[in-house]
Amino acid sequence: MTPTGRPFGPGRKEKQSAPADGDFFPIGEGVGDPHDVPVGYKLDPWWWLLVAVAGLIIFLIIWRPDPYWDILVFVKDGLLVTIILTVCSFVLILVVGLLGGLGRIAKNRLVYMAASLYVEIVRGIPLLVQLIWWYFAAPVVIQAIGGALNIAPLAEYRANAIFLAIIGLVICYGAYMAEIFRAGIQSIHKGQMEAARSLGMNYFQAMRYVILPQAFKVVLPPVGNEFIMLLKDTSLVSVVAVADLTRRGREFMAVHFNPIEVWTLVALLYLVLTLLAARLIARLERDRGVRGAS
Amino acid sequence: MTESIIKIENVHKHFGQVHALRDVSMEVRSGEVVVILGPSGSGKSTLLRCINHLEIHDSGEVEVDGIQLKSARDINAVRREVGMVFQSFNLFGHLTVMNNLTLAQWVVRKRPKDESIEIAKQLLEKVGISEKADRYPSELSGGQQQRVAIARALAMNPKIMLFDEPTSALDPEMIKEVLDVMLALAHEGMTMVVVSHEMGFARAAADRCIFMDEGQIVEEAPPETLFSHPEKERTRVFLSKVLQA
Repeated sequence: MTPTGRPFGPGRKEKQSAPADGDFFPIGEGVGDPHDVPVGYKLDPWWWLLVAVAGLIIFLIIWRPDPYWDILVFVKDGLLVTIILTVCSFVLILVVGLLGGLGRIAKNRLVYMAASLYVEIVRGIPLLVQLIWWYFAAPVVIQAIGGALNIAPLAEYRANAIFLAIIGLVICYGAYMAEIFRAGIQSIHKGQMEAARSLGMNYFQAMRYVILPQAFKVVLPPVGNEFIMLLKDTSLVSVVAVADLTRRGREFMAVHFNPIEVWTLVALLYLVLTLLAARLIARLERDRGVRGAS
Repeated sequence: MTESIIKIENVHKHFGQVHALRDVSMEVRSGEVVVILGPSGSGKSTLLRCINHLEIHDSGEVEVDGIQLKSARDINAVRREVGMVFQSFNLFGHLTVMNNLTLAQWVVRKRPKDESIEIAKQLLEKVGISEKADRYPSELSGGQQQRVAIARALAMNPKIMLFDEPTSALDPEMIKEVLDVMLALAHEGMTMVVVSHEMGFARAAADRCIFMDEGQIVEEAPPETLFSHPEKERTRVFLSKVLQA
């Protein structure tokens, strides 16, 4: 750490007098007290673990191109599916989680009950069972409804594995995310809402410009945690016909019968992804001045 | 006599089993400064919070600037005209002092950027902390934060200012700087309703003092009259405790 640099966070000078649109809710711009924001972007030691794991993969590929290079070439589209699945699901999970979280603190009894019921039910069923239900049971339900109501597109519905996997992941993780957002919003002192409301803002303006930007900083660590868990849990979709990294690994193994090499490489590939995600999250936390960010 | 800008009639408020306001009626005329005092739990803050509907009264009428508080639209219309200053300041911690002042101007009043900054600068100068415009609330002392909070409320050009124990969270040496700002505001003719035990402020600025106890208005009078010749025993007992302190 150097003593020079930005005592009040990045870009504070330009920010000082520009309340233009977006200035108040740029995902927690300058959130919170700026004293503890470390100076500069020094890569923390954990980056070396990432480099070491990546290096190990490269070493294996060069050392034994057969089978490691062959495995990598075979599973690379699965790797892409895993990444796309994770990112797409996560964006939707944030939306569902925010709506669910707002529902869980809603004064309207009906909205509150609906959100609470959703959280309780979804939390109580294993993700694997949910994914299987969406892939095997949901299409049959849709077809039956379509048949009963004489709606041809529904009656002839064919399961789309990736689409249903995303639905399953979003609905399950959305429930956990809703609880994280609820806790984050509730952690902001109620005086903040009162102050915003007494300035004439309506509920949604107060949420958007006052509560959520401050809650963002609070929820960032658990939200980052969810992202990493999601990245790993996408491996469950391999049982519902999605050709993700895990499934592609199993397919390779079924032909070549080399479990040690296949699952070692698959494990290392997941590890590289999660370590990278963890570093990016840590950096985001540090930018936002979250305490204890490494 | 000028028109009443706040009319409260037969207002009741319960918190569960607690009957916080019992048939309270009061009026505040435009330009008047009213100080409400009373022991803790007497309902004075609740009464204040009913004026801008942070608490919703169970029965009775609350009318502010000719607007009855009924629908959400009316509530927001009233809140735009009523500034509120809290005991715990409640500045927005994620925004600079400047943005604390400009946020609602932009979001609620839809003022152009330059205009809202100009207004904010003038108000910060008025409360004597222009040099802190780019700081965050956590970098300010309590007294400075409360002065920013007053400026933030004033930036909306309210017709009425409500103060909910504005100095009780402050260290003694910071109380004066906040009271001075409030005093200046009173002299400018702002309509103010202040919940406070600051007798000095009441003497210097209040047109009327209201003493509340157990959810009721016990008596009201100009400050000198109330402080030196209280009519009711309850008022006398309370004042003797406060004035001793």
